[in-house]
Amino acid sequence: MDSHRRTAVNEIETASRNFAGIAEPVTQLNGHKVQAMDAAAFHSASQRILKEINTVIDGKSEAAKLALTVLLAQGHLLLEDVPGVGKTLLAKTLARTIDCTVSRIQFTPDLLPSDVTGVSIYNQSSRLFEFRPGAVFANIVIGDEINRASAKTQSALLECMEEHQVTVDGHSYKLDEPFMVVATQNPIEMEGTYPLPEAQRDRFMARIFMGYPDKASEIEMLETHQATSPLSKVSAVVTAADVAAMIAAVQQVYVSQAVKEYTVSVGRATRDSPLLRLGASPRSMLQLLRAGKATAALDGRDFVLPDDVVNVAESVLAHRIILDRKAASAGETPHSVIRGILNRLPVSQDLAGAPARTAAKPDARTAPGSGFRRNH
Amino acid sequence: MTLAPEKRTSPSAQPLPLPSGKAPGKARVGAYPWVMAGALGISVCGAALSLNGVLRGWAWYLPVLTTVFVVCLTMAALRAVRAQPLLVTAGGFASLIAILTLTFFRGTGIAGIIPSGDTMKDLGRFIRRASETVLAESAPVAPNAGIVMVTCAVLGLTVILIDALALPLGMPATTGLGLFAILIVPAMVKPQSVGVWGFSAAVAGYLLILACSQWFAPDAHTPADTARNPGQLKRAALTGSVALVATLIIPMAIPGFDRGTFPQGSRVNPWGTSTGLNPMITLGNSLRTPAGTGRITYATNAVTPLYLRSVTVDNFDGDSWGPDDRDASRQPVAGQIETGYEILADEQLTQVTAVDTGAFTSPYLPVPYAPESIRGLDGRWSWDPATLSIKGVDTNSRSQEYTVVSSVPRLTASLLDRSSAAVRGISEDFTRVPGNVPDIVRTTADSVTGSGGSAYAKAMAIQRYLRSADFTYSLQSPVQGGYDGNGLSVLADFLAQKSGYCIHYASAMAVMARLEGIPSRIAVGYAPGRLTGATVTVAGQGVFSEYEVDARDAHAWPELYFQGLGWVPFEPTPSRGVVPEYATESSTFGAPGTLDNNDDLIPGTDPSATPLPSATPLPLPGGGPGSDAGSQMLPWLLGLAGAAGLLLLVSSPRLVRIGVRAGRLRITDPPSPAAVHMAWSELRDLGTDYGLPPGPSETPRTYSARLRGSRLLGEPGGMDDAAHQAVISLTADFERHTYGPPAGESPGRQKPAAARIAALQAALRANVTRGRRLRADWLPPSVLALWGRILTAPFRFIGRQVRRTVQAAARSWSRARDGLRRPSEG
Repeated sequence: MDSHRRTAVNEIETASRNFAGIAEPVTQLNGHKVQAMDAAAFHSASQRILKEINTVIDGKSEAAKLALTVLLAQGHLLLEDVPGVGKTLLAKTLARTIDCTVSRIQFTPDLLPSDVTGVSIYNQSSRLFEFRPGAVFANIVIGDEINRASAKTQSALLECMEEHQVTVDGHSYKLDEPFMVVATQNPIEMEGTYPLPEAQRDRFMARIFMGYPDKASEIEMLETHQATSPLSKVSAVVTAADVAAMIAAVQQVYVSQAVKEYTVSVGRATRDSPLLRLGASPRSMLQLLRAGKATAALDGRDFVLPDDVVNVAESVLAHRIILDRKAASAGETPHSVIRGILNRLPVSQDLAGAPARTAAKPDARTAPGSGFRRNH
Repeated sequence: MTLAPEKRTSPSAQPLPLPSGKAPGKARVGAYPWVMAGALGISVCGAALSLNGVLRGWAWYLPVLTTVFVVCLTMAALRAVRAQPLLVTAGGFASLIAILTLTFFRGTGIAGIIPSGDTMKDLGRFIRRASETVLAESAPVAPNAGIVMVTCAVLGLTVILIDALALPLGMPATTGLGLFAILIVPAMVKPQSVGVWGFSAAVAGYLLILACSQWFAPDAHTPADTARNPGQLKRAALTGSVALVATLIIPMAIPGFDRGTFPQGSRVNPWGTSTGLNPMITLGNSLRTPAGTGRITYATNAVTPLYLRSVTVDNFDGDSWGPDDRDASRQPVAGQIETGYEILADEQLTQVTAVDTGAFTSPYLPVPYAPESIRGLDGRWSWDPATLSIKGVDTNSRSQEYTVVSSVPRLTASLLDRSSAAVRGISEDFTRVPGNVPDIVRTTADSVTGSGGSAYAKAMAIQRYLRSADFTYSLQSPVQGGYDGNGLSVLADFLAQKSGYCIHYASAMAVMARLEGIPSRIAVGYAPGRLTGATVTVAGQGVFSEYEVDARDAHAWPELYFQGLGWVPFEPTPSRGVVPEYATESSTFGAPGTLDNNDDLIPGTDPSATPLPSATPLPLPGGGPGSDAGSQMLPWLLGLAGAAGLLLLVSSPRLVRIGVRAGRLRITDPPSPAAVHMAWSELRDLGTDYGLPPGPSETPRTYSARLRGSRLLGEPGGMDDAAHQAVISLTADFERHTYGPPAGESPGRQKPAAARIAALQAALRANVTRGRRLRADWLPPSVLALWGRILTAPFRFIGRQVRRTVQAAARSWSRARDGLRRPSEG
């Protein structure tokens, strides 16, 4: 239908934007200016969310924390695993703990782009075209089995993810903030599906492999979830405004020159690695650093450590890189390659780096400040 | 020098289509044989550099180069066409024979390269010549065709051996044996051993062979991706060059490593120093040996001190004087040995001497002058009618026991003075004045001898001049270019410096005598030795006292010819030997001219009357036995200083560590970023010292977690809780200051860093073994690693520069190649 036109319009608009297509910073929520949340409130809010998720999903606290990290870093999450390990449950739980609008799209091969974005319908009584918002108009959008939809529909969603807005018939409609897409993908049942190509996967900030729960968690799950759906007990513990404030707080986390250098060197190492055909993109570097900031904030710090970058690097980078054929046949996986790179990459922390750091301090004070204070 | 070959081959090796499989010889041959052949050739030619000094000059090097590279290239070519390994080796042999024939036997070979029957005859001649050279001459020997042919053949065989080791047998590391075999020759023969250049070139070539074999045929079990990356090459080149440079520097840095008592150990030479070489040159080395070797004992009934003479030198032309070489006129030692001149003296003294040469090895036999008959020799010997030197035909002097009957006229000063008749019946060899005599020799001779006087007066004038106080006896000068020169130019130096040893005195007197018209020659042998105290019974002659001489008694003296009296020895060297009665000055005329270490030579004198300075047989200037009062304390002082130095050396890592720690903890102001960094460095170094070094890829947090999780710091909450808290707070401080916002607030009041570090150190010390504690105290790994980094910094810098240069060269080469290819294609 009119997707071509829409794309054209979007291109004009994005020309003036950041090349990486990062969402606009959260400065306003429904017309109100967002104040960054203070550290204590941030901590208690994040603990409430995590606790709530953990009551539903047993033994998956790491995945829950990573999901929250992605939410606070304004990224999108790709959940990929075999059926029945709780991908959708995690997405739904996360959505329910926050008092915000949630929509769920079950992707099927016959789903159309307009079903996602919305469509203009001619109103007989007013004799005007009226825009009927699609499923994407929500704070949290759960895209179930995204690989079942056609490439056209997938890309409609992916464009919304990037722009945080929908353009139909020349009109742009802003999406609500915060906005997060949680897509699930099933790697087993591949027949008649359209798995996300590498370039599309790059739009997701992180990919989580759920993995099977351990024995004790599984037994406990059988015990507690026998009769009732666990989701029914979940209640919202924070509001959308709280989440926006938390996001603003994450944006204020300080990133030192050393951490930026470390992040960049991680990216460069993936590009130089002989095991990889495709290394990490500059966009992924940005997302890696944002995820690191969210991790630091969840850890109760107002500055990023190299450890934060290391903690999220596997989840953020693994789905973006492509293995060399030889490495793949040698049994390497993207995760093992990234682990190897992180194990080899030196972290400058000795005194030899200290004079350079003190020398670089003046611009460390100005340069990130200018790029950072812009945010609020 | 070291890196040059690496640099040369690696860029050419990289762009080549390399076989990646495990069996490069089978799948694709490529450049491998050629590069390997180049490496072999470079290493062997490099090792052969050290033969300069064994062979004189460089004229021999071109044939060597040709031989080595022809053999290398032949084998590489055969390998390039995938010949069988045995065929390759056979081809190597064939090419070696061909190139040797072409170089040395061109006239007799068929088509120049195939040896014929005549070639074999020539070969025998060449080999005889070479063996004579080896036996009779001293390093550096003149590069005659025989010795050069043998050198080329041996080096060619070495190439084939190394090639066989490196390629078909696949043991490149063992190729060092072949190179070692080449190096061992100069190591034993040359006074200054192998030399820096030969050693460096050999080692560089060896590393090159290893590098090539590793580069082209990596181990089957190295992972596919890790093999052959540029970093490996760099690391290997760096390690190799560091090791090589260290090997070269260490002997320089450690005093006495290559002199003093060391050379006997470091220069593997089990055969002593006087092994059958040019006596003129080994003499200096013999004198300089700290311990006497080549001990000869003899027993004699002579009443005068006995000089054992082995060879004479009479040809004073050329750069290097050698022993007489009149093999054609030599006669077998069978019956009577004739002097060939008439003796008109009133009285002949006949002496009987029994000699046991022991381990002394030389083609010449030490005998007292003038031998009349020799009994008891093994093997065939010959004597020279002109000089009466005894030389082995097919044997040498090792382990010979023989009895010599010799006779000398009883000479007196008046007898000599009267011998003024013109010299007759003497070979022109002994009277010919050498060409290009330096002016200083001629003027000195003229001024010393004055205008007139008899031949004896002139000889005495020369001896008086040389024995005057102006001249000092010194074994060190004038030594030239590592070996003792003995040509006319050295003689000029000697007269100018007025310092030298017997060779110089003897040759000065001999040359000056010739200038004054007296026939002269230099005798080389042994000065009178020492009584051993034993007696020897010689069959039919009675019981004689036994004497011994060894390398330290090696000596040279001039012999002058007086008509009617024959060859008369003189003693111009001060403090050596015994001045014969007839040659002493008139003021002390008649007094026995004995000198310090020869008091016991006259049988009958009590040896205990004048104690023999046996420990210092050479009265070197300044080293006299009189200066012992002050030197008594000297060893003690030196020992004390040495002990103090050793103590300082041993404790220096500890002192450095203490200094570093004090410097770091001096800054007590906690908020200062420098203080926090210092404290963190101290924490890391403490961990390193106690066996938990931080990895380069470890973040501060992971390292501190690992430190706290290790058994170095017990359980948290237990005894070491203070240490745990210290680590946590130090880590937090460091993280905040390194990664936190610049104006970050300091977290609460903390204990000073020094206290926290002390708590950590106490916990570490309590939890490690005693050995670890000792190591942390005396050899802290953090300090050693720091020193290692400092020491290798220049090498790392050079490595970076070299890599950059190589890359730039490779880039410009590929650009140039593209530039050339494009027009030729277009």
